[in-house]
Amino acid sequence: MNTPDKKNMKHECPHQQECLQLLQSILDGEATTEQKDRFMGHHLEECMPCYQNYHLEVAIRDLLKKKCSNEAPQDLVDSIKQKVIQNLSK
Amino acid sequence: MEEEFIKNNYTDAQKQEIFDKEFMPQINAMYNFAYRLTLERDDAKDLLQDTYLKAYRFIDSFQQGTNAKAWLFRILKNSFINDYRKKSKEPAKVDYQEVETYYNSEEVDRQITPDLRVESLGNMIGDEISNALNALDVDFRTVIILCDLEGFKYEEMAKILDIPIGTVRSRLHRARNLLKEKLSEYAKSMGYKTA
Ligand SMILES: [Zn+2]
Repeated sequence: MNTPDKKNMKHECPHQQECLQLLQSILDGEATTEQKDRFMGHHLEECMPCYQNYHLEVAIRDLLKKKCSNEAPQDLVDSIKQKVIQNLSK
Repeated sequence: MEEEFIKNNYTDAQKQEIFDKEFMPQINAMYNFAYRLTLERDDAKDLLQDTYLKAYRFIDSFQQGTNAKAWLFRILKNSFINDYRKKSKEPAKVDYQEVETYYNSEEVDRQITPDLRVESLGNMIGDEISNALNALDVDFRTVIILCDLEGFKYEEMAKILDIPIGTVRSRLHRARNLLKEKLSEYAKSMGYKTA
């Protein structure tokens, strides 16, 4: 996707929900190459709401990855390993 | 494990190797899933431990070379439904079908035009997104975790959750709309504070 010229973009999208669904499949790696090329290459360059949605979707995913992961406490990891070793020796 | 028909006869050494090399590397992702489902550290620990011991007990039905992460996530999700969801402290749940019907209605799509901007996400440097995620109904929370945090494909999610791919797709779409709604509430309240 090239950086679009914002002056020439549409400010309303007649298919915003459908576009959003397609955009999500693309970001989820579930869309076909053709769908992806058409949407990312053409639609995003001319449609402001979808262009904004794209950046919002990407930003939310980044934030989720950064803020919503927790590591297992080490004592728990050790205790699980320990229990399995005990099981094996039975 | 009702659907697993393959029975391997691994030796103790093979079992140990599968456990160490295939199961243990998933432990942080699995803990996070357990925590996001139960929303309680103690329950998450118990759920994780139960799941790993179960995985070990049923290790002969794990086929080496297949996706260990998806296999483990499915056991964890089933244990959660069978053992934890019932005793969960959440108030009597709304029938899920009802929730899904509601969120699948066209009505909601028209209502939801989250006025959330990328710039306001930049201010969410604390627990806002984590709280927003935790505030979603557990079924919506689950698809976001599986897809956006763990990178499962729709087909894998369908297997983990025992639902059709079409349902994965639509549930994910609703879930993301609801998450944006929550985030835009936070953005608004932060806006008031800084104004
Ligand atoms: Zn558009």
